Amino acid sequence: MNPRHGSSEPPRSLDESMTLLTEVYRRPLDPGYAEATARRAAGTGPRRTWRSTAGLVALAMGLGLGATAATLALRQPAGAVLAARELLEAQIEQRSSEADDVQAEITAMTDEIAMLQEELLGDEGQSVRDEIDADSVQSGVTAVTGPGLRLELTDAPSDNPDEEDPELRVQDVDLQVVVNGLWAAGAEAIAVNGQRLTAMTAIRSAGDAVLVDLVALSSPYTVEAVGDAAGMQTELARASAGQHLATLRTTYGIGVQMTSQSRLELPGTGLVTLHEAGVPDASAAPEPEAGAGGGAPEQRLVAGSAGQTRRDGT
Amino acid sequence: MIAVIGLVIGVVGGLLLQPTVPVELQPYLPIAVVAALDALFGGLRAMLDGIFDDRVFLISFLSNVVVAALIVFLGDQLGVGTQLSTAVVVVLGIRIFSNAAAIRRHLFKA
Repeated sequence: MNPRHGSSEPPRSLDESMTLLTEVYRRPLDPGYAEATARRAAGTGPRRTWRSTAGLVALAMGLGLGATAATLALRQPAGAVLAARELLEAQIEQRSSEADDVQAEITAMTDEIAMLQEELLGDEGQSVRDEIDADSVQSGVTAVTGPGLRLELTDAPSDNPDEEDPELRVQDVDLQVVVNGLWAAGAEAIAVNGQRLTAMTAIRSAGDAVLVDLVALSSPYTVEAVGDAAGMQTELARASAGQHLATLRTTYGIGVQMTSQSRLELPGTGLVTLHEAGVPDASAAPEPEAGAGGGAPEQRLVAGSAGQTRRDGT
Repeated sequence: MIAVIGLVIGVVGGLLLQPTVPVELQPYLPIAVVAALDALFGGLRAMLDGIFDDRVFLISFLSNVVVAALIVFLGDQLGVGTQLSTAVVVVLGIRIFSNAAAIRRHLFKA
């Protein structure tokens, strides 16, 4: 397009690439109206018969009906969805407040039980009281603070986020091995991501999630164990759990970080579920004492995938 | 004028009878309503221009709605339903705007 060579082509209009938009914007009215008017003026328009008029009226009525129906249908669902949502919200609020009430009741009753226990034991019951305190730490009922070990397990970084490889994730088995290793190494209390482990706790997987006590947890998993940090560290390294951790780190690239902490705060479950109870008689009397004193090993079993282990009723 | 009267009767009938739209047609309703609005504004402008024609109005109304629904249907089948819907809404929206502007000029001379 050099003007010196005298091109014969007409100059391109500036908005040639936007003919569609220009067309839409400059001629918004259907050209049919102008054509119909022109035909009428020329007298070549179609003759208006009785039948065509009736057809037009019927078409108009049908279109009006359809448009109204469409508009009504479009307006209706919004209201229905909103109503359903409000109903659900109201239900959630109601149930939450109910749960809060029940929780408050539980707390009050626990306090009452503690008070009654205190009353019942009196001054002479110091040994029994010590035993109860020790047992409630072991059973995970009360919160525990003390020095200990913190283990952090993190899922391995995946190259392809769309295709997640379960091998690269921390699995329930890994947590089971670590927790059992810690018990064996002399941990006094363990919590995973703030979930205190008791004799009734199950660590298992449901789909992609790892469940600890039926609470779904996700990476990173922080395993906190109260006890002698240095001793647990050496025991753990010596046991098979240490080898398992090393394999996780080297083979699968799962992040394993072990730090000793001077102060760990582990929450208590606050609840004891009574499974078996009986009136102690003379022959059975020594049994609970033995169980309370040396019962730690049985109590420190963490159930595997099968479910829950049952503690002997004392 | 017959078309307008028929349309008004249809709208009143629709409001009274409250007919339900089949569920299969639900996805096409929004675009169809926008297309109907476009035809309505076009008819109003033609009326003000003095070139209104019952037949052209009704047929453009019907074809607008059908074509709009057809485009959405095609888009859904091809997997570009939302994009095509957007395109239709943009084009019809521009037309509605310019027709509304013309109507405004007619009515208010401004």
